[in-house]
Amino acid sequence: MVLEATMICIDNSEWMRNGDYSPSRFQAQADAVNLICGAKTQSNPENTVGVLTMAGKGVRVLVTPTSDLGKILACMHGLEIGGEMNLAAGIQVAQLALKHRQNKKQQQRIIVFAGSPIKHDKKSLEMIGRKLKKNSVALDIVNFGEDDEGKMEKLEALLAAVNNNDTSHIVHVSAGPNALSDVLMSTPIFTGDGEGGSGFAAAAAAAAAAGGVSGFEFGVDPNLDPELALALRVSMEEERARQEAAAKKAAEEASKQEKGGEEQSSSQEATMTEHASGGTSEADNKKNDLSDDDNALLQQALAMSMDEPASSHDLQDMEMPDVAADDPELALALQLSVQDSTKDSSSQTDMSKLLADQSFVSSILASLPGVDPNDPSVKEVLASMQSQSEKQDEDKATEEEEK
Amino acid sequence: MSAAESAAAIQRNLVDLLDFIDWSGVECLNQSSSHSLSNALKQGYREDEGLNLESDADEQLLIYIPFTQVIKLHSIVIKGSEEDGPKTVKLFTNKEHMGFSNVSDFPPSDTAVLSPDNLKGKPVVLKYVKFQNVRSLTIFIEDNQSCSEITKVQKIALYGSTVETTDMKGLKKIEEH
Repeated sequence: MVLEATMICIDNSEWMRNGDYSPSRFQAQADAVNLICGAKTQSNPENTVGVLTMAGKGVRVLVTPTSDLGKILACMHGLEIGGEMNLAAGIQVAQLALKHRQNKKQQQRIIVFAGSPIKHDKKSLEMIGRKLKKNSVALDIVNFGEDDEGKMEKLEALLAAVNNNDTSHIVHVSAGPNALSDVLMSTPIFTGDGEGGSGFAAAAAAAAAAGGVSGFEFGVDPNLDPELALALRVSMEEERARQEAAAKKAAEEASKQEKGGEEQSSSQEATMTEHASGGTSEADNKKNDLSDDDNALLQQALAMSMDEPASSHDLQDMEMPDVAADDPELALALQLSVQDSTKDSSSQTDMSKLLADQSFVSSILASLPGVDPNDPSVKEVLASMQSQSEKQDEDKATEEEEK
Repeated sequence: MSAAESAAAIQRNLVDLLDFIDWSGVECLNQSSSHSLSNALKQGYREDEGLNLESDADEQLLIYIPFTQVIKLHSIVIKGSEEDGPKTVKLFTNKEHMGFSNVSDFPPSDTAVLSPDNLKGKPVVLKYVKFQNVRSLTIFIEDNQSCSEITKVQKIALYGSTVETTDMKGLKKIEEH
């Protein structure tokens, strides 16, 4: 539905008498022009199309950009074949005609039918292309008919110079059983950069095609049967979504089985373990890569950034060989701190029991730098802590009795 | 000179005309699609030194800015780098939809040749009498400082006043750089 003004440059040189495109090159070109005009005006009623001829006595504008389809079709009558095509002049006149279009909001586009050999050199064509790009004019090239050396190169160079974000296209049509218009119908020249010229194309296809593939996704014309086309499209998308979900589930299952042994100690729901399995498998891979001694801290940081209880369980499992040998109490403390997050009250009593455990506390204190367990002040603190924990136990006992 | 100019500026109640630009009609010919006009005009983008408006096929740029009301244009700030910044800048008023082919068809309302000072942010004072009744402004950047293939503009700011009312609340002093 892009608002566009288009100038079509027709090649009516002597080369167009050739019959390799049926019924003749010129006639095939004329049919294609008619179809393009129809498609453009149908995709947006405010679009305008103009036509000029490049050969003959000189470049001649047959009709300036107009949205009146009848006028355009009428001017195609009685065209004479002769002379040589002047591509450069044709494009420049087309650019001028577009510049003077009435509705300045329209995008500018030129469609060139290049059927005869090109006598300009690549350099000048590139300059023309750059000038078009500078003035934001898009160019579509239909390369058919004569194929002398360098023609394709020149046209490709021209396209490269004009092309801005894929708004310009080139189509090569070789002689054969397919009519020129049929080949063009599937190209972006017709469909207009990916949106709907398909309505018009559908009507034309129904009229002209010899059956078989109609070129639509599900073999159903959206115009003839929109509900069916829509239903087919929706069911296709649903199927695709279902397949993706199944694939994802299969991938998760696979990773879960890998993780199997390490995962038990968690007390969370199924979804959490799924998450954890994904997270921890990643964590494990990372850890296996790193060397233990140097990067123990890094491993710890990674595990913490995973931010899940399961992974910290794993952290313990990894750390046990490293650290646990040295400090089983530390490991135990870690485990308790983790369990803290899931079970509150029970761990508190555990903690208090541990604190009450004199030997445990003293060993912890021994491992702390700068603390001498034989220091009298430290001993006082320990004693007070012990009495506190005893008091807590008494309170709890009385509470339970009262209940 | 700058003191007199700044005094004159304050007298005329100059404001940054950014608020009066009709964004729906702003156009720029020959801009590179990744470095578009917004990088030079829009608030925030234009202060960012990394975001420039760049030309595409050659070094010329044609910028069309319509306004939401009639304004008087006093001065213009064009910032760019010393090598790739614009040099010759021609301004046309009230000419819609100009193309590169008709920039030479009629004389510009004003022409400015930017010095390195201007490229650092010193405003170019325009012929005020020619810009009394401006509905739209076309800025034609003809070449750049080092005649390279691509012209880069970091910021374009327009200073002037509106014709209908002078909004005292919107009064902003222009700092001389």
